[in-house]
Amino acid sequence: MGKITIDPLTRIEGHLKVEVNVESGRVTEANVSGTMARGIENLLKGKDPRDAVYVTERICGVCFAAHGWTASLAVEKAQGTAALPDAARILRNLIASACWLHDHVLHFYHLSALDYLDLSVLTQYTGLDPFIIKIRDLVKNELNNPPVEGEYAGPLLPSYSADEYCIRDVELVAGLVQHYLDALSIQAKAKKMSAIFGGKQPHQSGIIAGGVTQVPDPTQIYVYRSLLDEVASFINNVYVKDVIFLAQALWPLAKSNLGVGHQNFLSYGGFPEADGSYLYPEGAIINEALVENNRSNMVPYINEDITNAWYVSGTGGHPSESSQDFDLDKPGAHTFVKAPRFQGQPMEVGPMARMMVAARREDHPAFMNPSVQQFISLIGQGMRPGVIARHAARALETQMLCKAMERWLQEFDSLAARFRNKVVIHDTAHWDPPYSGIGVGMTEAPRGALGHWIRIVDHTIGNYSCVVPTTWNSSPADDAGIKGPFEQALLNTPVPDENNPVNIGRVIRSFDPCLACAVHLYTPKGETSEWIVP
Amino acid sequence: MKLFTITRRQFIKMVSGGLAALGLTPKVKGTELFSSTSLKKPAVVWLEAQDCAGCTESVLSCLEPDLKTFLLDTAAIRYHETIMKAEGSIAESALDEAVNEGGYILVVEGSIPAADARFCRVSGKSSEETFVKAAGNALVIIAIGACASYGGIPRAGVTGGQGVSYFLDKHGINKTLINLPGCPCHPLWFFDTVTAFLNGEIIRIDAYKRPLKHFGQTIHDNCPRRPRYNANKFLSDWNNPGERESFCLALKGCKGYTTHGDCPLIKWNDGVNYCTANGAPCSGCTEPPFYDELSPLYAREE
Ligand code: SF4
Ligand code: SF4
Repeated sequence: MGKITIDPLTRIEGHLKVEVNVESGRVTEANVSGTMARGIENLLKGKDPRDAVYVTERICGVCFAAHGWTASLAVEKAQGTAALPDAARILRNLIASACWLHDHVLHFYHLSALDYLDLSVLTQYTGLDPFIIKIRDLVKNELNNPPVEGEYAGPLLPSYSADEYCIRDVELVAGLVQHYLDALSIQAKAKKMSAIFGGKQPHQSGIIAGGVTQVPDPTQIYVYRSLLDEVASFINNVYVKDVIFLAQALWPLAKSNLGVGHQNFLSYGGFPEADGSYLYPEGAIINEALVENNRSNMVPYINEDITNAWYVSGTGGHPSESSQDFDLDKPGAHTFVKAPRFQGQPMEVGPMARMMVAARREDHPAFMNPSVQQFISLIGQGMRPGVIARHAARALETQMLCKAMERWLQEFDSLAARFRNKVVIHDTAHWDPPYSGIGVGMTEAPRGALGHWIRIVDHTIGNYSCVVPTTWNSSPADDAGIKGPFEQALLNTPVPDENNPVNIGRVIRSFDPCLACAVHLYTPKGETSEWIVP
Repeated sequence: MKLFTITRRQFIKMVSGGLAALGLTPKVKGTELFSSTSLKKPAVVWLEAQDCAGCTESVLSCLEPDLKTFLLDTAAIRYHETIMKAEGSIAESALDEAVNEGGYILVVEGSIPAADARFCRVSGKSSEETFVKAAGNALVIIAIGACASYGGIPRAGVTGGQGVSYFLDKHGINKTLINLPGCPCHPLWFFDTVTAFLNGEIIRIDAYKRPLKHFGQTIHDNCPRRPRYNANKFLSDWNNPGERESFCLALKGCKGYTTHGDCPLIKWNDGVNYCTANGAPCSGCTEPPFYDELSPLYAREE
């Protein structure tokens, strides 16, 4: 039996340590740990409630807009906003969705795809692309022993050696590396889109409590639209095709159980539409049963367990009530990540959870969406809900989002045509923090279900709490000994060569982890209340 | 617990009466080793501590200069947790190897916990330990973003996050440090500074070790809303088109008048927009007191 520790598990956001036991070439035990904390919620205590939008956005440098947006919803509820102006809804959708395009493209090409490529075959590259030639020469040099100092192929090398699931055809590898390079500017352009309405990216400034700060003029709309055309064309013609190609080329892997976990899925519903529904439907699936399809009903069933996390024992509970103090000396604890559970169950959140929920929501318009139908058909052909399915779900939902963004732009056009620059974008009546209030905001972030809870006391923040996608996914075992989604998905993972545990990273990366998000929790003691459900 | 506090008043005094105003600016000379005649590509070791990866994302949001060229031609990225293919023990030894060879640009992203080193550990080591070792063999250090520069948001929390200079002082390490604050750091602040190093240029810095080229003026100096500020016209309602388009955001908490940076001149994301142009108050994200000393961000201080 071997024990393997991967620390840091790189090409994710944040600091993650993975420890597994391997017997007869398979993982028999897995522990996943978040190893960094900042204590962001606690420092909000006593601050102006509107600051929460700005500060929680800094929880994550990748899904910033999702946090800012969710915090706004929580603060608005607590401050008494009854209905958000429709233009603010549309503009927030457009600011946040552009960040999804950035996140998903970057996640696939720059973080994940390298797990499936044998870059050493590039030494045989005979094509003419100057950048691939450059990479070829760098790889050649680095594989020489000793390499010429200074001529390193970082960040592409060094790495574990390639295994049976790595693509070794030089043309295919060169093609995918070419897309890696092209995707660098595509993801930057997606961020640029978001900045056109959001001020800047990362960490936009346009979403504030009560609405947004700007009505874009026709030129800005035009630039956004043309960038969307360019980015969407890359997504449809390159990203989705590459992922589907990979799924087919690696079909034995797609059909295998690599990365299959509890198969419980949760989605709060993402991107509000004019009629109050969501582009990505709400739903919770436990043991193959759709147990809930309404986000409001989900709130009371969310609890956080801290048995194996560095927090003072006995302080878990509902996010509105849990009191959390770090206890770095707690025996047996190994992570800063808590263990959120829904109806007592660990839940996978993220693109595949959204697709699984959409596939069960025949009552919802998303069900008939061609991207959802394509996912359903891949599952029908035998693709298991594991590593490859997660990449496929992510690519297909990006495709679905691009279409919706075009629609939201048209919705904004018609508002602008009706109201000109008198479009209402802010609930100014509820701008000043009230003496007291409570609220919760729930959205879907690129990585899954995101919830923020706020309590206002004496015009300031009395308590703040976030339950974040990667907290769900990277959670440790709870008091019943039930493992979190990452850990469960790692069990049984083949590790034929203990010096080369490449499958571990494949499993973890398929979730697109964000540990800076997952670990942030620190709220003061003794706050209890009933919470307003949106 | 606060390990680093400058009151707002002290701070404004320091800025207006300090070294920068007298023109007595310290300077840092880019190193000869990196001069363009050298054949060797300079190595970059990029450490992430209490970070959100936002500064990495910001550098990656750059369209000009071209990222491909930077990654393949300009620098050798020896260690960077978020983008490197290596993981686990391979990543650990890549870092050890680069640090032992020495002579790299050390980029630090995120604060380092000062209250208890166990709040940030990678490869089983505290980020303080890793930083101290890497700093010792670095040619120069760039603190990227508000957190690595001055502690940023984490400074206000129980982990007591602090910037690079705090730990250089604590461990008596004497190295050239450039702070590139901002939440996040603007990609051009980073690329300009690296390029200046590589070309052996002189980088003039202010009392807080920020390059004067980008931090020599305030947001207020160049803000498009400045004429309205001068005319005492202040935005009170974002729904009013006239107010939204040009009125000053001071009543909404704008910190632009004491915040150094060239955001209004170079703008963000390929020059498309930036905070006050977009109707959002400047939060003061490039200043040492950011965040807690500058709160509330959306209201005028009492
Ligand atoms: S908006 Fe801010 S930076 Fe612009 S003029 Fe007003 S105070 Fe100055
Ligand atoms: S305008 Fe102010 S808040 Fe915005 S990026 Fe520049 S310095 Fe930071």
